[in-house]
Amino acid sequence: MATMPILPPMPVLDLVKSFKLKTKQQELLIRVSILCLVYILAFITRLFSVLRYESMIHEFDPYFNYRTTLYLTQNGFYDFWNWFDYESWYPLGRIVGGTLYPGLMVTAALIYRILHFLRFAVHIREVCVLTAPFFASNTTLVAYFFGKEIWDTGAGLVAAILIAVCPGYISRSVAGSYDNEGVAIFALLFTFYLFVKAVNTGSLAWSLASAFGYFYMVSAWGGYVFIINLIPLYVLVLLITGRYSMRLYVAYNCMYVLGMLLAMQIRFVGFQHVQSGEHMAAMGVFFLLQVFYFLDWVKHMLSDTKLFQAFLRITVTCAVAVGAIALGLGMLSGYISPWTGRFYSLLDPTYAKDHIPIIASVSEHQPTAWSSFMFDFHILLFLFPAGLYFCFKRLSDATIFIVMYGLTSMYFAGVMVRLILVATPAVCLISAIAVSATVKNLTVLLRSKNKGVQTGSTKGSSSSKAASKALLDQSQPFQKNGAIALLFGAFYLLSKYATHCTWVTSEAYSSPSIVLAARGAHGSRVIFDDYREAYFWLRQNTPPDAKVMSWWDYGYQITAMGNRTVIVDNNTWNNTHIATVGRAMSSYEDEAIEIMRSLDVDYVLVVFGGVTGYSSDDINKFLWMVRIGGGVFPVIKEPDYLVNGEYRVDKGAAPKMLNCLMYKLCYYRFGEMLTEYGKPPGYDRARGVEIGNKDIKLEHLEEAFTTSNWIVRIYKVKPPNNRW
Amino acid sequence: MGNFFILSSSIVISLFFVISKAESESESELLADLFALQSHSKSGVIHLDDRSVARFLTSPKTPRPYSLLVFFDAVQLRDKPDLRLRELSQEFAVIASSFIANHNSTNPKLFFCDIEFRESQTSFSLFDVVSLPSIYLVGRSAKSLKDDSERMEQADFTRFTESVVDFIESRTKLTVGPLHRPPLISRTQMGIIFGILLIWSPLAAKKVLSGETWVHNPRVWLSGAIFIYFFSVSGTMHTVIRRMPMFLMDREDPNRLIFFYRGTGVQLGLEGFAAGFLYTIVGLLLAFVTHVLVNVKDPKAQRVAMLVSVLVSFWAVRQVIFLDNWKTGYAIHGFWPSSWN
Repeated sequence: MATMPILPPMPVLDLVKSFKLKTKQQELLIRVSILCLVYILAFITRLFSVLRYESMIHEFDPYFNYRTTLYLTQNGFYDFWNWFDYESWYPLGRIVGGTLYPGLMVTAALIYRILHFLRFAVHIREVCVLTAPFFASNTTLVAYFFGKEIWDTGAGLVAAILIAVCPGYISRSVAGSYDNEGVAIFALLFTFYLFVKAVNTGSLAWSLASAFGYFYMVSAWGGYVFIINLIPLYVLVLLITGRYSMRLYVAYNCMYVLGMLLAMQIRFVGFQHVQSGEHMAAMGVFFLLQVFYFLDWVKHMLSDTKLFQAFLRITVTCAVAVGAIALGLGMLSGYISPWTGRFYSLLDPTYAKDHIPIIASVSEHQPTAWSSFMFDFHILLFLFPAGLYFCFKRLSDATIFIVMYGLTSMYFAGVMVRLILVATPAVCLISAIAVSATVKNLTVLLRSKNKGVQTGSTKGSSSSKAASKALLDQSQPFQKNGAIALLFGAFYLLSKYATHCTWVTSEAYSSPSIVLAARGAHGSRVIFDDYREAYFWLRQNTPPDAKVMSWWDYGYQITAMGNRTVIVDNNTWNNTHIATVGRAMSSYEDEAIEIMRSLDVDYVLVVFGGVTGYSSDDINKFLWMVRIGGGVFPVIKEPDYLVNGEYRVDKGAAPKMLNCLMYKLCYYRFGEMLTEYGKPPGYDRARGVEIGNKDIKLEHLEEAFTTSNWIVRIYKVKPPNNRW
Repeated sequence: MGNFFILSSSIVISLFFVISKAESESESELLADLFALQSHSKSGVIHLDDRSVARFLTSPKTPRPYSLLVFFDAVQLRDKPDLRLRELSQEFAVIASSFIANHNSTNPKLFFCDIEFRESQTSFSLFDVVSLPSIYLVGRSAKSLKDDSERMEQADFTRFTESVVDFIESRTKLTVGPLHRPPLISRTQMGIIFGILLIWSPLAAKKVLSGETWVHNPRVWLSGAIFIYFFSVSGTMHTVIRRMPMFLMDREDPNRLIFFYRGTGVQLGLEGFAAGFLYTIVGLLLAFVTHVLVNVKDPKAQRVAMLVSVLVSFWAVRQVIFLDNWKTGYAIHGFWPSSWN
């Protein structure tokens, strides 16, 4: 039996020493672990919606995205690209492949494929639900690198932490909100980061990367227009402030030319980069850069300054004139399309109100009041001006970029509530600069003080700096305490920010809006799952080719969950078709039946909140149906539904209102029902009145299904009577 | 605008002296006069006074060959911002001129008129107009101006232009057609501006290249940046788009002004500026403390300034939190334990 060689006892101290890291390595370790924690934090804070409800797709548009993703995974990319969807917009149908931004669906499908390749058998729905949180986590990484690029690693870390929980971003990226914005904010920030990196280094590789980032952004969201206008604006500002450089020339040209060519591959965007007025700024700056480069070269060749001045004058005049003439010709010949209403309404915000009521009516297109900023940014709002000041104190190409991004997006956020989302990364980055720089100054003060005391005591006798040293020594105890207090204050504020963000996420931004929650009489949570109940009823109990008519809000959900054909849906591409539905809903039953027969409608679905007190139901949306219907069919007039300009459903309501199809379908047999103790039957809890028409008889329709809380009611269109 | 009114009224008066005051004029004469008046007015709005009301509306037998859309105006009330008379009369003129331009050949015999309160009080009482702004449509067969003419709903004045168009289209079965607004800058002005730009651009380019203009001064950019921030977070766009007033009068007590409006998503002008100011001042104080105060030599001054800025910031944040909680009803997390509130 061989004896084991006995090892000499290794000194424990040496072992520890061999594991001990150098300061640099320690710093790296801390940084990486913070980033990992932030990455996880960004993901899990968005899971409130899953915990509160369940893993499901939220709201309206995400259901369309989900349906297309499902189609993509089942039928492959080429079928998806050429998909003609006959289940929506009956009888017109919709060319899906050419009218969407495919980035989100392709991304989710890719993740799904990868997971399956790795033998994780997940359902595509789970992938869709978790796509937005996953990309939010990635955004924190980008924010870190971006912060590092414009300031230092500290600012990067703070930016990553701030953006991980910032409510302005969470509002659009909770688990289940499977919408374009979820990946687009990542793509937006990533493109910006790569472009700034390219400008800083002047390297072709980085600008190539930013072109691809831009391509991804174009494929994901219509908001890419912001990039293609901000970057030229930035370049222009650099030019006029005398910061033109070869790095800028390389970065912009490569990014613009390649990005443009790549973006043309997206069918929905097509040739807009060379044809639409919204993209002309980028092209103009592109040519301007060539002029600058040319001038620079001539200046280099000509030694005579006077000659150069004369040459400069002629060149600039010619360039401006040629540019203006080209633009004018393009506009006049119709080759360059003018700005779209949406874009115009951003520059001249009163435009939408006067000219495009359909944009002005959407709730997320409303201008922002000051309290919304507070809700979505909390302390970042206070830090932002300080951050701006810090950036101006240390101007570089990168800080100029972040300042411009911050200011333009802040302006747009003031114009439309939903654009707070675009402003969020910039606000986080600029505030992070303020936080990081302040904290860094304070800690430096703390540390140098200790050294200062030592040096002060040892070298106190040195003559040259005696006076200043004495002053420093005097103020040291106070300064040190002050710095400690301020540091604690800063951390306290940041922890309050975290509390606020978590609270906002759990209370305000995690509701899927397809499942409704309310507080019961005893403070317990009551869940209303009527929508899904109705959609599954449609799926199980109606013929597969049945056509369902409803207001456009529910179109995507009916096709995705009910798997039935709808007349109109949330892709509001054909106003006449929507107006036809609006007209049917606001006509008398015998007029409506003609319209419904002409559209082959089999079922009519309405949403009604009178029993539960759910206020965003069809009765409250009804005036929009009247307005949109009346916009195309002048027989529908809004005043017919109002009494003295007031919208009522009780006894004093307009006779046309009391007998229109929507009223009848919502309140059918509601007059027999007791909703609230101490109130008469037929008491509408959403509007707080007793309804005016309790004796509703339906002639051409019959009630097919009403969900348990009456939120969704489905009616069947009866076949025509036998002919004699 | 003022000139135009004086002009049109003088035309009206002079026309009256020229035209014979025969009691019963033939329909074609009246119509011809109306067209003449319309063509003399710049925007196509005919200015009426008591005499012309008598001539065109009360004395001819019904049915008249024309109908009139009358806008009631009062010069002394034009300064009241909540009546918006000036703006409404301009919009009315735009509708009138567009209508005339769109019906150049067809001649629908609908005339746009306005009446001023001080010079035509009798007409106001004939129509029984007690509040402004008011618009009446006097149809062809309207006998009594008070009872038979149709009045536009008071609620419709908020979306004035669309409502007037709807009103005309629903009552007269005529279409107004597209509105022709005068462009902000005319074609010749555009040309001049373009020319100036062309001449100026090489000079500007030279200056910019040599680097000695205000665009190279970071302070200018900084103040611009702070301004944009202030502009956005104080919800100025909200005020502009929704045309919110700066403050409201209290209905019950006219001497009291309301500056703060309770409810999410809606705000008044001054309220936004107050909040934006509070937001901005905290950030600027932080910048001041970290970048300016450190250069101050005197430690005592430093401490005092530091203390003041901390106190001011605390006060500002406290105000914002208080206002926000009051406004929205949400309990926004403050920056101190909630028991301190």
